[in-house]
Amino acid sequence: MKQSTMPLKLNNRGSVLWKSILRHRYLYFMLLPCILFFIIFSYIPMGGLLLAFKEYKFNKGITGSPWVGLDYFKTFFNSYQSAQLIKNTLIISCMKMFLYLPFPIILALMFNEIRNKWFRNISQSILYLPHFLSWVIVVGLIQRILAPDDGLLNQVISNMGGDGSTFFMMDSKYFYTIMFGSHVWKSIGWDSIIYLAAISGINPDMYEAAKIDGAGKLREIWSITIPSIMPTIVILFILSLGNILSAGFDQIYLLRTPGNMNLADILDTYIIRTGLQSGQYGYATAVGMLQGLIGLILVVIANRISRRVSETSLW
Amino acid sequence: MNRKWIKLFTISLLVVLLISGCTSNNSKNGSSTNTKEPATDSKGNVAPEGKPATWIADRKIKGLVFMGSDDYTEDMNPEIKAKVKELTGIDFEIQIMKADHSIDGLVAGLAAGDLPDFIAFYLNNSGRPEMPVILKAAREGMFTDLTPLMKDTKVYSKYLEKGFLPIDTQYGVMFRPEFNGSTYFAHMNINREAGYSTNIVGGPFIRKDIAEALNIDPRTITTTDQLYDLAKKIKAGNFKDSNGKDVMPIGPAYWGGAEVGRLFQDLEWGADDQRINQDKDGKITHEAETPYAMKKVEFVKKLLSEKLMQPEFFTIDESRATEGAINGSWGIIANMHSMQDFNQDVHYLPIGPIKDVNGSTQMKVDFKSGYSGWAIPSTTKNPEDIMKFADFLASKQGKLLWKYGIEGRDYTLDADGKPLVKQEVLDLKAKDPNEAKKLGFDGVGNSWGNILGSTDNDNIVDFGEENWADKLNQGKSKGADIVAEYVNWKEQRKNAEVRDAYTPTSFLGEFDRGTELKAALDNYNDSLIKAYYSKSTEEAQKTLDSALKQMKSAGLDDYLKLITEKNKDPKTVLKF
Repeated sequence: MKQSTMPLKLNNRGSVLWKSILRHRYLYFMLLPCILFFIIFSYIPMGGLLLAFKEYKFNKGITGSPWVGLDYFKTFFNSYQSAQLIKNTLIISCMKMFLYLPFPIILALMFNEIRNKWFRNISQSILYLPHFLSWVIVVGLIQRILAPDDGLLNQVISNMGGDGSTFFMMDSKYFYTIMFGSHVWKSIGWDSIIYLAAISGINPDMYEAAKIDGAGKLREIWSITIPSIMPTIVILFILSLGNILSAGFDQIYLLRTPGNMNLADILDTYIIRTGLQSGQYGYATAVGMLQGLIGLILVVIANRISRRVSETSLW
Repeated sequence: MNRKWIKLFTISLLVVLLISGCTSNNSKNGSSTNTKEPATDSKGNVAPEGKPATWIADRKIKGLVFMGSDDYTEDMNPEIKAKVKELTGIDFEIQIMKADHSIDGLVAGLAAGDLPDFIAFYLNNSGRPEMPVILKAAREGMFTDLTPLMKDTKVYSKYLEKGFLPIDTQYGVMFRPEFNGSTYFAHMNINREAGYSTNIVGGPFIRKDIAEALNIDPRTITTTDQLYDLAKKIKAGNFKDSNGKDVMPIGPAYWGGAEVGRLFQDLEWGADDQRINQDKDGKITHEAETPYAMKKVEFVKKLLSEKLMQPEFFTIDESRATEGAINGSWGIIANMHSMQDFNQDVHYLPIGPIKDVNGSTQMKVDFKSGYSGWAIPSTTKNPEDIMKFADFLASKQGKLLWKYGIEGRDYTLDADGKPLVKQEVLDLKAKDPNEAKKLGFDGVGNSWGNILGSTDNDNIVDFGEENWADKLNQGKSKGADIVAEYVNWKEQRKNAEVRDAYTPTSFLGEFDRGTELKAALDNYNDSLIKAYYSKSTEEAQKTLDSALKQMKSAGLDDYLKLITEKNKDPKTVLKF
């Protein structure tokens, strides 16, 4: 009897699923472009990772080219540059991930406390604006502001009696400050949106109850706002771990000068130099694959830790 | 029900838009594989009845150009396009692949594999970064052998004659020994006559009024020590630019920040893009292995610390460098040339030239040199049509069309059959260069024809003038001639050393650790600039030592041994 009921159950379940799909067919239809997008631009290109193990031949294509095993990975780790590249990449990406994390949260909390709607809208717009500027423009601005002698900052220093000839962009000791400062300036407004959305979803009754209990503004933020948006913070943090070895190509590429190259040469710029500018497709794919693999492993670990500690996780 | 239909319609529309957005319009453009086979004789030996002798085939030829869009433009003037069609039957079309660096586009384009009838790319010499990429493509059967196609041509057949090509083009680029007489790319811009060069004068220039005020003849500045003294005098002179601001004694090159070898010639070990030279005992070494590297660092540090040199000399962007040159903000422009429009009144005069490390100022001229190249993918049908078309463009008739436009509209012919540019075209170019460009030929800035046609060049013989409209321009742009006369260019040219040789880095492509060494050589160039800005001489020395160590671990010693051997072979002799 049992054996005969199984297919029936499955059939029932299948027909229920089919009916559900049919009922929500417009929603599924709307989902189709998104699924197609990911298949075309994310999943099909993954096949290209085969190149990391092959010596690419123009006439044979990806599948027909001969295998070279792990040669490219060995070459990379034997290269005198690899340690420096990995170190630089990790430092820059960790700064962008850990050090930068509180900035948009604090900004979202500040926005949330602004009561004047007009002022809030204006200040939000101003802070979102840099997100829409390309790094080429932002770095161009930085170069002009920090130029030796006639740059804005050096002129201020000189007017205050200091030496106004510092070439900030050429001195590696200012690189992290310039890199991190420009990153915060460009990204903080846009990245605060998601936290602001999470804050606006908090039940106002909780704030009222806290007020009745005598809580001040800071106590409200500390005991209600932050715990309420913690799942959002954790999820976003886990997702960002996937990019731990991607320090942001365009910004670093443009900020790099001979003076700061010992800090600014990263895996992304190396991939462009070797892959695109020297035509070593396989080698560049292997280095790019390393970035992705390390990111994936970190996301899985962080997700597991987060699920155990805070009951918040991606899956 | 109505709402349902609206929903359905909207979703269908979205899907159609998405699909149509993702569909290429290749079928409309019609690459060679889609075009109809020519109805006329595609072998092209005899022109069909009623067609001119220049007739090739009734077909489309589409090219993909991996070169900056400033040099070339996709838009062809309809009348010129019709004239090309009338003469050859060819419907010519080029597409420019835009990329930050032209080589990025070339690498991506070759990897994609979907190539049209021909491709064109930068290729100064066999040491150019594009060379290993196209060489790999040729070795892997991506291109058509051009040798048999060249045999029946009028101009390109000269490439098969002994002594026509410079040795780098002959053995390094086109007829490489590994190809056994075949060639897969045509190297372009090969002059008809050896040692051909224009009277262009390049290098550092000084503001004429400053030189006069200081009572200095710029031609007598032939060492970096004299250059330093001159810079100090300029600073002490408190000269002003056109905005009333203080003049910077030594400004960057007109085209933006870069290391300028011609400014520090007596401290440069080899050309500034090579940094490899041979000493008096015949030993080939890299600059980092000589005392010149630190001497140059100390000299530049001195200029920077005494504010005699623009602080962003090596990294400044082009717009600011050019603005400074035009405003007269630089007492000395580190590098420019005499043909530049802003100096046709010769308010900047050439300095030196500065002596090289051997104490010589002798002019060096290439026997012939190439620039850019093209290839026919092996997927192209009837490749002989492309070769014939290239040959037509390289002929005098073809060159007249793409360099001077249409007879009657853009020029007339004088009694000797040489073109005379019409005054109204010249006026239009001066008044509205963009509008003039639409006339669609090289003289007004639309260079579609030189991709396949600029070779076997001798403009004086073919057109009676070196550059388009020189005859008409007489008296208006003679700044370059004045400068040439000022430096006694003719005498210098007469005594010049004519060289037919390879650059020292030309063999990186065949060196087993070439890529790693190239990265280390580039790192040295950056390290040198870093050393200029270091706080102390010790720090600078440390930076250079570290760069040398990296070059050595990337195989510098073995590479120097390789090129020493190459230099012994007359077919692969080097120039330093």
